Amino acid sequence: MSQNHPLHQTELAQIQSQTRRHFLGWGAGGLGAFFLNSAMAAPAGENAALDFTRNPATPLSVLPPQFAPKVKRVIYLHMGGAPSQLELFDYKPTLARFHGHDCPESFIKGKRLAFIQGIPKLLGPMFPFHRAGKSGTWISDRLPHLEKAIDDLCVIKSMKTDQFNHAPAQLLVHTGDARTGHASLGSWVTYGLGSENQNLPGFIVLISNGGTTANAGKPLWGSGFLPSVYQGVACRSAGEPVLYLDNPKSVSRTQRRQVLDAVDEINRQTYKDFGNPETVTRIAQYEMAFRMQLEASDAMDIRREPQAVLERYGAEPGKTSYANNCLVARRLAERGVRYIQLYHWGWDSHGTPVDQGLNVGLVGRCRETDQPTAALLADLKARGLLEDTLVVWGGEFGRTPMWENRGGQEMEFIGRDHHPNCFTLWLAGGGIKRGISYGETDDMGYEIARNPVELRDLHATMLYLLGFDYRRLNYPYQGLDQKLTGVKPARIVSEILA
Amino acid sequence: MDHKPHVPVWDIPTRLFHWSVVLLLCVSWVSADQGYMRVHLVSGLTLLSLLLFRIAWGLVGSTTARFSNFLHPPRRVMGYLKGLAGGDRIFYAGHNPAGGLMVLALIAVLLAQVATGLFANDGVRFHGPLALLVSEDVSTRLTDIHGLIFDLILILVWCHVVAVGFYLLVKGENLIRPMVTGKKHRAHLPAELNIAFTRLYIALLLLAVSAGVAAWIMIQGESIL
Amino acid sequence: MTGSSISGRHSGHLSAAAYFGCVALLTLAGVGLAMLARPAFGHDMLQWIGLESVPQAQAASFYALRVAPLFETRCAACHGEKRQKSDLRLDSFANLLRGGKHGAVIRPGDVKNSELAARISLPASDDRAMPPSGKTPLTEDEKTVIKLWIAHGASGSLHDIAGAPKPVIEVEIPKLDPAAVEKQRAPLAVQVHRLQDQFPGVIAYEAQDSADLEINASLKGGAFGDTDMQALAPLAARIVRADLSGTAVTDASAPVLAAMVKLKSLRLSGTRTGDMTVHALEQTKALRSLAVVDTAVTAGALAPFRARGVTVYGDGDGP
Repeated sequence: MSQNHPLHQTELAQIQSQTRRHFLGWGAGGLGAFFLNSAMAAPAGENAALDFTRNPATPLSVLPPQFAPKVKRVIYLHMGGAPSQLELFDYKPTLARFHGHDCPESFIKGKRLAFIQGIPKLLGPMFPFHRAGKSGTWISDRLPHLEKAIDDLCVIKSMKTDQFNHAPAQLLVHTGDARTGHASLGSWVTYGLGSENQNLPGFIVLISNGGTTANAGKPLWGSGFLPSVYQGVACRSAGEPVLYLDNPKSVSRTQRRQVLDAVDEINRQTYKDFGNPETVTRIAQYEMAFRMQLEASDAMDIRREPQAVLERYGAEPGKTSYANNCLVARRLAERGVRYIQLYHWGWDSHGTPVDQGLNVGLVGRCRETDQPTAALLADLKARGLLEDTLVVWGGEFGRTPMWENRGGQEMEFIGRDHHPNCFTLWLAGGGIKRGISYGETDDMGYEIARNPVELRDLHATMLYLLGFDYRRLNYPYQGLDQKLTGVKPARIVSEILA
Repeated sequence: MDHKPHVPVWDIPTRLFHWSVVLLLCVSWVSADQGYMRVHLVSGLTLLSLLLFRIAWGLVGSTTARFSNFLHPPRRVMGYLKGLAGGDRIFYAGHNPAGGLMVLALIAVLLAQVATGLFANDGVRFHGPLALLVSEDVSTRLTDIHGLIFDLILILVWCHVVAVGFYLLVKGENLIRPMVTGKKHRAHLPAELNIAFTRLYIALLLLAVSAGVAAWIMIQGESIL
Repeated sequence: MTGSSISGRHSGHLSAAAYFGCVALLTLAGVGLAMLARPAFGHDMLQWIGLESVPQAQAASFYALRVAPLFETRCAACHGEKRQKSDLRLDSFANLLRGGKHGAVIRPGDVKNSELAARISLPASDDRAMPPSGKTPLTEDEKTVIKLWIAHGASGSLHDIAGAPKPVIEVEIPKLDPAAVEKQRAPLAVQVHRLQDQFPGVIAYEAQDSADLEINASLKGGAFGDTDMQALAPLAARIVRADLSGTAVTDASAPVLAAMVKLKSLRLSGTRTGDMTVHALEQTKALRSLAVVDTAVTAGALAPFRARGVTVYGDGDGP
């Protein structure tokens, strides 16, 4: 047999693994024999990891949180590209007075801006603002539907990040680190809590207005160093929820079951030989895919909704749209999916192409998202789901109070550049104070004036609402007890908690 | 035989050592007080090399510099002090027993001060070269001791000055001039004198080695320089 | 001249007594000067002797509640019991007023001339800023609190200072004591395990630090009915949350629900339950949330719940 013969390779691998196994003292004691990870050996200190061990055959089984939670699931509405807070929520009348003036030197001296060069002009708010609802929260005229729900929202105007480019900024929002390789929020949540519905993924991602690879792409819902079973599953809201989920036309469900049983057996043998826990996970995922064939299509089929509901969302079955995704999100929430992530791209209002101008693109984005977001909130509320769901809406950074002048040139369309110093994000749902604004930016909307909220603070707060001490939801990897909030201390934003 | 009234008793290295320490103590004190920590570090390390030199010199240096010359058992010290008080004095070529004790105390305390200083930190920006080799708690504790020893040094120095003043103003014996010129008046010396002077180049050699040791310690740890 | 004893009075020389007398005076003078140059040291001496009373602050004063905790967390590490940089301690009311190596750091009523106020107001880049760079800085609100307190006389008795920023409350995460929890769960533990095996995915503990239970049968749909509810009856007293949406449960399960005395949240949407079940819940004082969308429940039955502040989902349109 030649060196390159596959069987030779397998033999080699088997011998190596036996030596390795002998060296490490692993027994091949059946499924789940050594899913006992280092959590067992961890010292019982204040920041000691909680025990997340499960039967590896049911990796998404429900685990109770550390303490009584305020919410049981999360719906995160991410507006990709960074929506302009100055055109939506952060009203700056002083900036309006200085519209068209040269930007003060102190704003740009020594700073690194994404695209602005030279001395840009200041850009006042492009749309009129007013106070809305009983809470009197400021909002522009671009979100007439959301306005009706303003008294349910907690608007944080003092979010800050240190990334001024899309991909690292999005990674920071959703994985807690600006580089790839870290577990996403949804992965942490399903790792810690499991999911109530074992027939659907615990972490589902729905995307509209842009492909799956926009900016940071799949790592945004990846599991990083956590077991891969906790990664997000990007589902399509038109056609098959997951490509190739359904059997080919000539294969029946019984035949599929037989195939899976055979594959199962080979995988079990592989597990006995090599002891890789991912093999067990793979078996579990095949099984879930089998169950999903029945349930996912049903869950994501919005044609089953009454016409009145479709109209309320502005949903059109058969299309891919944010409205459809919102309706699917509500259906998934009802069916026990733990973490539902929506992405709607196209908010990057630089003013370069027409679709990115504040006066065109942003208007379009608002029209696409305003009604469905409001409908989702109202729908959740009517069914009694909002009280134990956390809804988050936001982008990855803010936009500058300066008029973007890419390369120092005046632009045909009006836009703003990337601005990490401050941006707006709102929360609604269980455990959150309703109808309040938290944090303030300065008169020009350039820096945070009061109550800055780092992304890790937001994460710590979200984990708290889900019933976790953010320090104890950790996972040993590369010599560190990795946490969503990273190594810097985070603060739970007590002021926004009900 | 030489019958000049003034006899050389203190060699150059010893004298230079003495007055350098005086200067360096002042520099260390003022620099610490005013926050010039880099100067304080250099001053402290220089003191360390000088102390190491002095200890070596105390073993191989001139007669009057050697520890064996001026360190006496307690009974001798008591005897000497009684003689001093009672008016029946015994004279010594180099340090008298009480003075010898003072030298020992000062060298020991200064050594302790330099040693604790190596590990000290001011909680903000500066730390001694070896501060990072120990835990923060240990470093803080040694910093406290560094502070306490400073008070002890002040007390000892005051005692030393008072003692020298006593000899000068009460006993009529000037101890300061000999430490500058190196020569004492025969009237304050014993009849039998047997002082050997070690060659200067040995002193230079020892100084170089001591400086090397101090430099090595500084490089071993981390330094703010 | 050798061996001559030079003792007692000699022309031009002092007597030992006179000399040491002068030394004593000089030493005292020196200590006195040190005390003058370091007023803090002076205070220490006087207080130690008892000539000066140690200033105290009242327990519920603005100082004790708002100012002292700031100094404790931000300053006492270098200006407290373990270390006293510049001979300054900031860890007590008396110490704040005492000052340090360079004198008093607080001039009551005079913020402009209070060194402490100046130092905390310096930009972070300044070498002399306090806390020094590398340590957690004071927030603007915290600086305002300290300066307001100084401006109002650095008082130990004042209770309220108008215009002071509101205090920041940090969230306290409940501590987890697994042994205690196990004890609380012990009485029903065996039954809980048995029923969890019988109804997988339906029963769970509310949290790791709790013995309370949640049941969620909504994903079982029509497969979960009254007989199943009966089986869960032994656990009723511990159930705080029940989601029975879309199940086959009917009014026949009302007694089981009524036995859930700790019930905080109940979902019955999409079931064939009606007013009888709702009436049975009237005694459940812990109930905060009730969902009866698409049920036979009428508005009249829901009225008492709405009246006592329970959030009701569903308009009670009846069947």
